Amino acid sequence: MMSDDERIDARLGAFFSAPEARPDEAFVTRIERALLAERKLAAARVAAWRRFRGETAASLAIVVAFALLWRLAPAGLPLDQLAVGPAAAALLVLFLWFAVELRPAATGW
Amino acid sequence: MDQDAVLARNAAAGDVAAFTALVRAHEAAVRRFLGRLTRDGADDDLAQEVFLRAWRSAGAYRGDGSYRGWLLRIAWTEFLGSTRAAGRRAARDQSAYEAGQPPQRDAEAALDLARALAALGERERAAASLCFGEGCSHSEAAEIMGLPLGTLKSILARARTALASRLEIG
Repeated sequence: MMSDDERIDARLGAFFSAPEARPDEAFVTRIERALLAERKLAAARVAAWRRFRGETAASLAIVVAFALLWRLAPAGLPLDQLAVGPAAAALLVLFLWFAVELRPAATGW
Repeated sequence: MDQDAVLARNAAAGDVAAFTALVRAHEAAVRRFLGRLTRDGADDDLAQEVFLRAWRSAGAYRGDGSYRGWLLRIAWTEFLGSTRAAGRRAARDQSAYEAGQPPQRDAEAALDLARALAALGERERAAASLCFGEGCSHSEAAEIMGLPLGTLKSILARARTALASRLEIG
């Protein structure tokens, strides 16, 4: 024997019942595309972060090398000789590298 | 281990196809639940957020309840977050809610149900949708809504009384 609540619940269940629908493939595809896009974005983010770390390490190495070379240079060396020394060459390489890396096509801006 | 649990484990390992199978199996329940909670045309966007969040936190599903229940819990949390963020709760228009209800077996009965649901608070609507619409047990609904069992039963009793009165069930 059903209680009042059970009887009401059964009637309410009938009101709420919806026919079994087949999966909405358009929605499923939409989610699948969103997942793939998110996965690509995550992969790109990881690659960019890895590249940033590598380039930062390379930059630091060049700067440190430049500083060491600068400290090793004999005191009182004329300016025209310094301009062709290894430290100046390193500085030039660093500048060119930055110029190439920061050009609009490289950064995607 | 049931099929959902196997698919969920594979999804947690990054298997998109497994997760897509879970989406295919449960999208109707999630969208129906959200559709009964909100009526501003954002159901599918919200449902997408639910599934994306489920994908991102796929490893958090431990298999101690049904996967559908886990998704519905995410849906409830997302719904609360979206209404709070947008301040839509106060602005929601009852007529828009009613107009957006999907056709069911009986259009008149569906409209009656939409009107009756629109008169309920969010928690009553969610509890009624879960227990009467999705066939959840009281404890499962309480788990989904993050409420103690006694609180859920009180909310459901209020919803039952209000719905029975409005739908003239007695």
